[in-house]
Amino acid sequence: MGEPRDAKPGFAEEALPHLDAVYRFALRLAGSADEAEDLVQDTFLRAFRSWDQYTQGTKAKSWLFTICRNVFLRRRERTQRHSEIVTETATRAGSGSAQVVSPVWSSVQAVDPEGEFFESIVDERIVDAIEELPEEYRTAVVLSDIEGLPYAEIAELMGVPIGTVKSRLFRGRRRLQEVLYEYAVEMGYVPATTGGKTTG
Amino acid sequence: MGFFEKLFGSRRRGGNGGKPREISCEEALRRVHEFIDGELEDVSTAEVQAHFEQCQRCYPHLRLEQAFREAMRRACADEKAPDGLRDRLEKMLAEAAESG
Repeated sequence: MGEPRDAKPGFAEEALPHLDAVYRFALRLAGSADEAEDLVQDTFLRAFRSWDQYTQGTKAKSWLFTICRNVFLRRRERTQRHSEIVTETATRAGSGSAQVVSPVWSSVQAVDPEGEFFESIVDERIVDAIEELPEEYRTAVVLSDIEGLPYAEIAELMGVPIGTVKSRLFRGRRRLQEVLYEYAVEMGYVPATTGGKTTG
Repeated sequence: MGFFEKLFGSRRRGGNGGKPREISCEEALRRVHEFIDGELEDVSTAEVQAHFEQCQRCYPHLRLEQAFREAMRRACADEKAPDGLRDRLEKMLAEAAESG
């Protein structure tokens, strides 16, 4: 039986070590384990078949993420299951990127200025909040905050300028913080505030 | 701030007796994400770090952003691909190699 490493020199050494990272990324994109596994298989099969076009020793992880996202977007386009529209004025505060202070910080400054409430939030709720983000924000946030890719690689992978990556990261993080803050208030991890004053 | 300092100040390195240039609270807060990401441009890490270390008003902002990132990583970064997927993938790739 032929082994992958024989047929495509370097594939096993360069691509397969990124399986966990590609699976995590696929999970965040697809939202379900079944769909993520399917997406990962498709990603690696496509990568395997076009391995000859990949320059070995370059950014295999980014390349796999690119394939994974493209496969996901094409499937989504075909099935029309999602109709996410990214509004560039997404923050609850409505003042956009000009606001340097996080609205969540403004809410918790009197009771938890260092955001310790984030430690109390269960993993499942954080994962749900990430998956609720529009795809453009979700991809940028996952690749930066979880996989640790530099802005330049994310920009190349998403086919957008670095400034757009920064903007998506900024808005995605703000939105996530707001969702997690609201959850923390509901759970009583942090007191609700109105206009900077603690209520209840 | 003088004209030349305004013009060149943001790019100065070690021109202040080796001490980091002082930056404003607004600039530090505007750069907090790039600072955490290690992606600063036009301003040095030492300059931003010095501000957060010395400014009691800005430091909690940095800590909140770091607490948020830590929560994100804790929730997601340790997820592994299931063994079944790894096995299926290796089998699938072996078959693909055989079929050329």
